[in-house]
Amino acid sequence: MDDAFAPLLAKVAAQDRAAFRELYKTASSKLFGVLMRMLGNRTECEDALQEVFTRIWLRAERYDPSKGSAIGWMIAITRNHAIDRLRARPVESADEDAVLMMADQKPGAEAGLMAKGEAQRIVDCMSQLEGDKARAVQGAYLNGLSYQQLADRFSVPLNTMRTWLRRSLLALRECMEK
Amino acid sequence: MSGTGAEMDDDHILAGEYVLGVLDLSERLSVQGRIKGDQAFARLVEIWEIHFAGLNGAYVEVKAPNLLPKIEARLFPQERKSRRWFGWMAGGLVAAGLLGAVLLTLPSPQPATPVATLAAEAQALQFAAAYDGQNLTLTRTAGEAPAAGQDYELWLIVGSDAPVSLGLASAVETTRALPGLPAGAVLAVSLEPTGGSTTGAPTGPVLVTGAVSL
Repeated sequence: MDDAFAPLLAKVAAQDRAAFRELYKTASSKLFGVLMRMLGNRTECEDALQEVFTRIWLRAERYDPSKGSAIGWMIAITRNHAIDRLRARPVESADEDAVLMMADQKPGAEAGLMAKGEAQRIVDCMSQLEGDKARAVQGAYLNGLSYQQLADRFSVPLNTMRTWLRRSLLALRECMEK
Repeated sequence: MSGTGAEMDDDHILAGEYVLGVLDLSERLSVQGRIKGDQAFARLVEIWEIHFAGLNGAYVEVKAPNLLPKIEARLFPQERKSRRWFGWMAGGLVAAGLLGAVLLTLPSPQPATPVATLAAEAQALQFAAAYDGQNLTLTRTAGEAPAAGQDYELWLIVGSDAPVSLGLASAVETTRALPGLPAGAVLAVSLEPTGGSTTGAPTGPVLVTGAVSL
């Protein structure tokens, strides 16, 4: 699904506004889905989506197809912005049932994670982590949970959660680079 | 990147933590500064983004409202203005020439001189402050506008006095009337909710500071 976006992004980098409109038409629902999952609040997601597409327009020339898919690059921009918003929230509110729901699921259990090809590698590597650790990594990546929220969710001290994730990152790096 | 294996591991982990999103705001701002200045580290972040992109399939599409008009208004606001400018130019070239001659003879105010650079280590954001004896002009020279829902706010700190707000500084350029500016005073920009601090003191993180030298 990403191949269609790369030529569009190249045109956007050349200031092609028609291509930008086409990109919005075809990519906005995926990026809005990312925001809805991470931020939850629809009004905030609409603000965030405007910022995301503003950044896509301004940064499109920096996209390098040799370094991954165009949709992956756009989702990275989207996640980054969502996480900046989450971390700037004054107090991490307890009202996060929506974003916490997924943490109960096994890695790979989500439909979209029945991935294929290149995407399968991270799923395979995650499956080699202990269940809770894989779920913590997934909760951080997909839902934008902070160390503190993860520690609360898994009922472990904050420092334990830091150790979990850091060790998981080292294990994942080793596995991914095999 | 130089350093021991352990330091390289630390960088890999920090880049991974950044991509996962678990760092707090100040750590994130510091990592974002490092990404701008350290290519090897920026590459580590990219590698993690590509590694984890395999999880992106779990994000379910949600139909987005059509926000294109708003986005385009934000990205291309100069169009209407420049057309008006063009029309005026076409219609009034002679008048413009006359006006230019008049402007040249008007007394100019004291020129604004640079008085401070507001920056912080590992912070992408940077401002330049200039003062002309009456007005302080703050220009964002690096970094991005605040995210929606947030504003930058400018503060003046003289000696050990409490910070005094000089208003919002979210625009690329902000000018404030300021009757005096003592050398050694400190200018600071904090991150605040939209509209700025309501307490009279900075409530969010102080992002950058700079001392005034006249």
